[in-house]
Amino acid sequence: MSRVGVFLCECGRRIAPQVDLKQLGELLSQNPLVAHVQVEPFSCLSPGLGALKAAVEEHKLDRIVVAGCEARVILKKFEQALEPVGLDQGQIDVINLRGHVAAVNDLGPEQAAVKASKLIGASVAGLDALTPTAKEKVEMQGPVMILGGGIATYAAAQELLRRGIATIIAMYTDEYQDELRMIHEHYPGERHYYDRLEAMMQEVEESPLVKRISVGELVGLTGRTGNYSVSFKMGDEIPRIIQAGAIIACLDGQMLNQGNNFGHDGRNVICHTEAEEMIWTLGVPTGKVVFWLNDYESGQEDFAYLSARSAWSMARYMREHEPRCQVTIMYNQKLSIPLSAGERKLGRELGINWVAYDSELRPTVQAGFLNYLSPEDHTEYEMPWDKLILSPRRSVGLETNRVAKVLGIKHKEGEFLEVKHSKVRPEMVGRDETFLAGSARYPCDLHEALRQGRRAGTRTAEMVAKAEAGELYAPRMVCVVDPSRCVGCGLCNEICDCGGIEPPAKLGPSVIRHVDPMVCTGGGTCAAACPYHALTIQNNTTAQREARAAALARSLAPGEFMGWGCGWGGLAAADNAGIKGLKSDPRMHLLRVSCIGQLDPSVMARAFLEGAPGVLLLGCPPEDCHHSYGVDHTWSRVTLIRKLLSVCGLDRRRIAMAHVDLNNPQQYIQAVNSFAELMAKLGPIPDDPETKAKLQGMYDTVNNDRVRWVLGASLRRPWEEVYPGDQRHALAYDQDMVAVVREEYTKARLVSTLKAQPQPIGIGELAALLKEDEARLVPNLREMVSEGVISRVHKDGVAHYIMR
Amino acid sequence: MINMVIDGRQVQAQTGWTVLETARQNGIHIPTLCHHEAVEPSGACRLCVVEIGDETWSKIVISCMYPVAEGLNVKTDSPRVKNVRRWILEMLLAQCPASPEIRALAAEYGVQTTRFVNHDPNEQCILCGLCVRVCKEVVGVSAISTIGRGVHKKIGSPYGVVSDACVACGSCVTVCPTGAMSARLDAIRGVHAGREAGKGGK
Repeated sequence: MSRVGVFLCECGRRIAPQVDLKQLGELLSQNPLVAHVQVEPFSCLSPGLGALKAAVEEHKLDRIVVAGCEARVILKKFEQALEPVGLDQGQIDVINLRGHVAAVNDLGPEQAAVKASKLIGASVAGLDALTPTAKEKVEMQGPVMILGGGIATYAAAQELLRRGIATIIAMYTDEYQDELRMIHEHYPGERHYYDRLEAMMQEVEESPLVKRISVGELVGLTGRTGNYSVSFKMGDEIPRIIQAGAIIACLDGQMLNQGNNFGHDGRNVICHTEAEEMIWTLGVPTGKVVFWLNDYESGQEDFAYLSARSAWSMARYMREHEPRCQVTIMYNQKLSIPLSAGERKLGRELGINWVAYDSELRPTVQAGFLNYLSPEDHTEYEMPWDKLILSPRRSVGLETNRVAKVLGIKHKEGEFLEVKHSKVRPEMVGRDETFLAGSARYPCDLHEALRQGRRAGTRTAEMVAKAEAGELYAPRMVCVVDPSRCVGCGLCNEICDCGGIEPPAKLGPSVIRHVDPMVCTGGGTCAAACPYHALTIQNNTTAQREARAAALARSLAPGEFMGWGCGWGGLAAADNAGIKGLKSDPRMHLLRVSCIGQLDPSVMARAFLEGAPGVLLLGCPPEDCHHSYGVDHTWSRVTLIRKLLSVCGLDRRRIAMAHVDLNNPQQYIQAVNSFAELMAKLGPIPDDPETKAKLQGMYDTVNNDRVRWVLGASLRRPWEEVYPGDQRHALAYDQDMVAVVREEYTKARLVSTLKAQPQPIGIGELAALLKEDEARLVPNLREMVSEGVISRVHKDGVAHYIMR
Repeated sequence: MINMVIDGRQVQAQTGWTVLETARQNGIHIPTLCHHEAVEPSGACRLCVVEIGDETWSKIVISCMYPVAEGLNVKTDSPRVKNVRRWILEMLLAQCPASPEIRALAAEYGVQTTRFVNHDPNEQCILCGLCVRVCKEVVGVSAISTIGRGVHKKIGSPYGVVSDACVACGSCVTVCPTGAMSARLDAIRGVHAGREAGKGGK
């Protein structure tokens, strides 16, 4: 039995005069779920917090609602202040009485109190349905492993060893000298850095904390933060499996030459990596060397500055070591030369010639000459060359792509690995999705790659240190899998964008999924998508949201309606409307949800079932979802509810989806007011047993695994480019969906009707009860008999049906 | 328990409370701008000034940060306090004449015009730094800060470009006392706040 306390804030002049708090207190004390009500001048200031703590201890409250201001801003303060008295995240809710009731509605104090009591009642019901879970401690069951073989490995390992943390580095080579010899293939023109790099490599090699293992290709990764199993292929032998507590992936991108383009022949027209090779094997050439920074022309203009840096570095080396060599660097005039003033001066002293060409005309490679247009006098000139050095083409590379796939790093095809999934608050996620360093992440020079390695090392070290001190806890509101319900379909994994669904423990079908709580952002659209309700957000479950929706829907007076606002979009806009004092229709009752994608269709259906005449969902603008496409998925769910409303014979417009930007509260007002107008036009949903039975059918249908599966198929995947509505075969899919929904709805109605019948019942009677065509029922009944859901018996030669 | 007097009323407080908190607990109104309950006070706007002391000696302090003490005598609305607030509001009116909130507050204290120089008639920001504190203390990302010094000081993201650290939660807009942050937000969070701003690249 939960004990919920409610604290009402006066907030100076901002709540008390507009809302009759005394009356509100009386209304709330009639609520059987409310154990204690108290009015505070300012719950959030030291005196108020002190009073809250005292009340929690005196009345033994285990969850509280504060009716005050914006949860987005103030909730954290309550969580921090009330942790010592045993209230944890999820056990405290804040209702924005000031912004959503007092400031935006001209209701009068009594009416405002009634509205507030409904919102608070919903929150109380939601908290009552909470089953708090304990904090999950994360322990490191193994050393840190750095894999991928990238050069950033050494920087990360150095950072870790300096902090005294045991590390395994998994390399493809046997000795670091081999890597030093190969490094120019990934980072050309960086010889000046090699001394420092070698010192770093030596320090890592000699450290007793670092263990170097030579491995074959990476073939598997399972487990979660603190407990990973990494497997490598070792020739024909069985794969070698190594335990690790944390993983850092150091991956270098691939450098390709220009192939047959731009006159590349590998002898006189070469690219940076080949030039580097030439300098070190054959020496600096004499004669005219021309670097053409052709990144713009080869479609990689974003990386032109990297080619410019590496060309400059090689040019400098050439001039310093071979006075007979003349060096020119040709660059597109759009490029701003990435050199410091000192480097420019040195370049002039060394006689390195930087020549810009007009981007209007693509330079042409001819025998011994490069034809270009001068931007100064609009005349074409020829630049003579003995060696022409082109920029390389940068890509992730096949092998790196494969490794990224094993590691579960999701990225768009043909793009680099750096993908920032979610824009959420730091406390919502335990750590970065993958500690990733190197040029496969995004093309960079050696210095940057090593910096990324150091950073990955530092962050991992901080995490390990915290774990060793026993202070590493996973965030509280993350997804968990109920193993008794999970069938291992992998839908959650497919639509999860944060990478929180762990790599499965083994291959094959029906492998139960697990969630890495350190990576999960608690977005929850995956949980709302699970066909079997096996995935839930702990301390913030669908059951809680259903309880909220039900409590609010039951309390709505005729003409009133409800809605949900996303903490990043709709709710934030409503908060800001409150701050600005913009008036909106008072019949709207807004509930808070941290991402609109958390709303399971069952929550929406439940609201209708409990008597809500309309539901308005206020999410972020399209493409602005902070989690994994929650807005997009809600779109799909809303269309499902619309179909079901149609099937029930109700107006489809009773559920609506609005996109609201937090910085534009006017959008919120417009959405609410126009929905209010529509609601006034549509009137209430009839409150009779027949409609109730239909709405029960709708609720059962959205909880049907087949319907949820078909719905799941349409949910936008992370790699899909467009907002729903522009999918392939959208119409065909939708038609199928309608058919499935109709069928499952009919079956759900049949089941609930048959459950209520103690005796077998004939088809004619069934059709009369359901007000459906006999012809429509027959195939469904047949199927249900063959599925074993119902039994068929014959009475006087006529088929009768009964629940099994 | 600490016994003290606010505006002639005997009130009780506890160690650790500020004068502002004690006044509010007892329903005594003190105007504030840079104070927000979600963050630590910083005493930037000075509007919450009160007078402490007796007939023979008194001084002006900011109530949002002044700790309570036994026998303290506080006046929140004395002529001296009002005079200081008028000066502050006149200066604020010169800093941000475009803010309706500041204009309304100034009018409440009878301040209609300002004798100080205004640099930008469209300015709304009072540079109280509340947005910066919320971003750091509540959100935990520190995406914004004050940029520049003296008259060039303003609120923004580093180098004035779209911030990678900003999570586009809008807390800064919600707490802003003058509505100035609303106009600045888009330059900080980028167009597609959720996804595009954080997408790879330099």
